Amino acid sequence: MRALEYASAPLRSRLLEATPLLALAALAAAWGLAALTLPAPAARGIGLAAAHGGLLGTALAWTAADGARERWAPLEAALVLGVATLFAHLVPGGVVAYAAVPAWLVWRRADWRRCGAEHARAMLTGALFGLLLGLHLLVNASLTLGFHVRPGRPADLLAWLAYDLGANVLAAEAFFRAGLFARVHRRWPFAVAAAVSTAASVTRYLLDPLLPHTPEILAGAAFYLALLGVGNCWLLARHGSLAGPVAAGLLFFAAYRLLVR
Amino acid sequence: MAVVIALTLAGITALIAVSEAGVASLWRHAYHVPVVLAALRWGGGGTLAALAAILFYTPFVLPALERAGPSRAVLEALVTLALLLGVGVSSGALAAGGRRQRARYEALVAIQRAVDGDAPLDIVLVRLRACLEARLGGLIGIAVRDGDRLALAGAAALAPGSPVAQVLGSGAPLYVSDLGGGARPRRCFVAPLAGRGGITGALALERRGDIGADERRALLALATHLGLALENARLAARQRRFAEELAEKVTAATRHIVEMDRMKSDFVAIASHELRTPLTALQGFSELLATRRFAPSDLARVGTIMHAETERLGRIVADFLDLARLERGLAPPLRRTRVDAGVVVSEAVEVLRRARTTHALELFCDAPLPPVDADPDALDRVVKNLVGNAVKYSPAGSRVRVAARPHAASPAVEITVEDEGPGIAEADLVRVFEPYYRAPGGARVAAGAGLGLAVVKSLVDAHGGTIRAENVAPHGTRMTLILPALS
Repeated sequence: MRALEYASAPLRSRLLEATPLLALAALAAAWGLAALTLPAPAARGIGLAAAHGGLLGTALAWTAADGARERWAPLEAALVLGVATLFAHLVPGGVVAYAAVPAWLVWRRADWRRCGAEHARAMLTGALFGLLLGLHLLVNASLTLGFHVRPGRPADLLAWLAYDLGANVLAAEAFFRAGLFARVHRRWPFAVAAAVSTAASVTRYLLDPLLPHTPEILAGAAFYLALLGVGNCWLLARHGSLAGPVAAGLLFFAAYRLLVR
Repeated sequence: MAVVIALTLAGITALIAVSEAGVASLWRHAYHVPVVLAALRWGGGGTLAALAAILFYTPFVLPALERAGPSRAVLEALVTLALLLGVGVSSGALAAGGRRQRARYEALVAIQRAVDGDAPLDIVLVRLRACLEARLGGLIGIAVRDGDRLALAGAAALAPGSPVAQVLGSGAPLYVSDLGGGARPRRCFVAPLAGRGGITGALALERRGDIGADERRALLALATHLGLALENARLAARQRRFAEELAEKVTAATRHIVEMDRMKSDFVAIASHELRTPLTALQGFSELLATRRFAPSDLARVGTIMHAETERLGRIVADFLDLARLERGLAPPLRRTRVDAGVVVSEAVEVLRRARTTHALELFCDAPLPPVDADPDALDRVVKNLVGNAVKYSPAGSRVRVAARPHAASPAVEITVEDEGPGIAEADLVRVFEPYYRAPGGARVAAGAGLGLAVVKSLVDAHGGTIRAENVAPHGTRMTLILPALS
C-alpha cells in the first residue's frame, strides 16, 4: 500500500509543465507562413498537420516520464501527419497512410501499446458508448435539422475513417483525455477534470474550420461533443486505457460522417 | 439490473413512438420508474439513467419544437426533461447518501466486533482492515502505536515520509490527490487515530476514485471512533492481564503460605525434639546429682556432659532468636572488627577436629589472607555450622576439606567447605538457605530444625558477603562463602 510504503511528496510541478512551447511555436509559424504564401489546399494540409501534430506531440510530452526529452515531439508528429496527408491527397488509396500515425504513436510510447483484458474491456465499452451516441445523433439529426442518413461511397467513408483514426480522433483523445484530463485529474476531482477537458475539446471542435458554423449545428455539436467528452473522461478514469475513448470517438464520428443535408 | 433498466427505457420510448399523442404521450412519465430504480440501485447511476432517458425522449421533443414552436405540449415535454434530470440527480444523491450512512453504521458495528475479544493487536488490525476495505471501497492501511513499536496492517514496514508517517508526526489529517506510481491517480486520505493520550495511530484510505470532502469528513469521524475503540480494547485487555496476574500472585502466595505453615508445623515438631534431647540429658544428670553421691572423677565427667548439653541448648535457642530477627527483617547483631579469616577458620576447624573423630577434617589455608571486617564470633559460628553440616551429611570416615584463600576475581576471602556426601538435588540447591527448609530425606539422615543454613546466610548477608551451594564430582557438596576484604 503506497500510503504506508512510499514517501510522498506534494505535487509541485505546474499544470502546464513540460509543454513543448518551442515546437508549438514553430508549428504555428509554419502554419501562418503557409497560409500567407501557399495555395489554400496546401496551406490547409499544412494547417491540419500542424494542429493535429501539435495536439499529439503535446500529449506525448505531457505523458512522458521525462517531458523535456519530448520537446520536439510536436514537430515529429506534424511531420508524420503531413506525410500521411500528402499521401492521402496525392496517391489513390493513400488515405491508409493515416494508419501510420497510430503506428508511429505506439512505436514512440511503449506504455501505450500494452494489451490486456482491461484494454479490451475499455475498447468494448467505448465502442458501445460511441455507437449509442452516434445512433442517437443519426436519429435526432435526421428528425430535426433536415439532415438525412446517406451511406455514401465506401471509399469516401473509408477516407473519413482513416482521417479520424490517424488525425482527428487520435489527436483529440490523446491531448484532451490522456494529456489534459489526466493532468487535471491528478490534482482535482473527476468532475472538475472532466469539465475542463470537455470544455477544451468542445471549444476545439467549435473552432474547427471543417464544422459548418450555423447556430443549430454549433448547438448540436456542443451537445454531442460534451456528452462524448464526459463519457470518454469516465472511460479513461474507469479503465485507465485510451482505447475506450478512441473507439467511442471513432464510432461517433463514423455516424457523423453518414449525415448529409 | 442495467439490462432491465435499458430495456425499460427502450420499451417506454417505443410506447411513446406508437402513441398517437407523440411528444405529449403520458408514457413519458414512465421514464421516472427506471430512473428512480437506477438511483436506488447505484446512487449516481440515477443521473446516468436520467441522461439516457433524456437522450431517448429528445428525438420526440426537438422535432415537435421545430414544427410547432414552444407549444403547451412541447413546454410540458421540456418540463418532463428537466424533472427527469432533477429526479435522477436528487434521488441518486439521496440514495448514495443513505447508502454511505448505512455503510458508516455497519463499519462502526464491524469495528466493535473486530476489536472485541482477547486477540492480539496485530490480529485485531488485520480484522479491522478486512472489514473496512469491504465497506469503504479501497485499500485500507492502519498504523497503531503499541508501546515502543508500531503495529501495522497493510504493509510490512512504514516508510519515513509516507502519508501515514506524516500524519503520525503531525497529528493532522492529510489528503493526497495523487500518490503516483500509475497511469491513473491514486487518491489517499489519512486520518489520525486519537486516544486519551494524544495521537495513537493513523487510518489510511487509498483508492483510484475520488475521495470527496464529505467522505473525508466521514472518515475523520470513523477514525475518532476507531481510535477510542482501540484504546478501550487495549484498556480492557490490560485490565484482564492485570486480573490474571493478580490471580496468579494470590495463588502463589496462598501456596507459599500453605508451604510455610507446613514447614512451621514440621519445625515445631523438630524443635520440640531438638530441645527435649538436651533437656532430657540435663534432667537425668541433675536428678542423679541430687540423689546419688559420685566420686570426684565421675562428677567432673557428668559436669562436662551437662556443660556440653547446655551449650547445645544455648545454640538452639540462639538459632531461634536469630531466626526471629530474620523474620522481622532485622540483621543479626554484629561486633565487627578487623579479623584474619584464616585464624578464625583454623581455630574453628581445630576445635571440631578435636570433637569429631569420625571424619578426616583437612584444612588448606593460604597465608597471608587479606583481613576482613567481620564479627569473629559470627564467623566462627558460620564455619562451624558449615563444617558441622558437612560432617552430618557425609558418611563416617570420609574427608571434609576446608579451605580459605584470597578470592581470584575481587578483593575478598573465599572459604570453601567440601564433603564427600551424596550431594543435594539440583532443585534443592537454591532452597537449602530458606528457613525451615530441609531437603527431602535430610531429616532421615540427620536431626536438625532446618535453621542452620538460613542463619548462616543471614550472617553472611549481614557481612556483605555471598554464599552458594553446589554439587561436586563425583559426589559431594561444596559450600562457597565469599567475604569482602578490607580495602
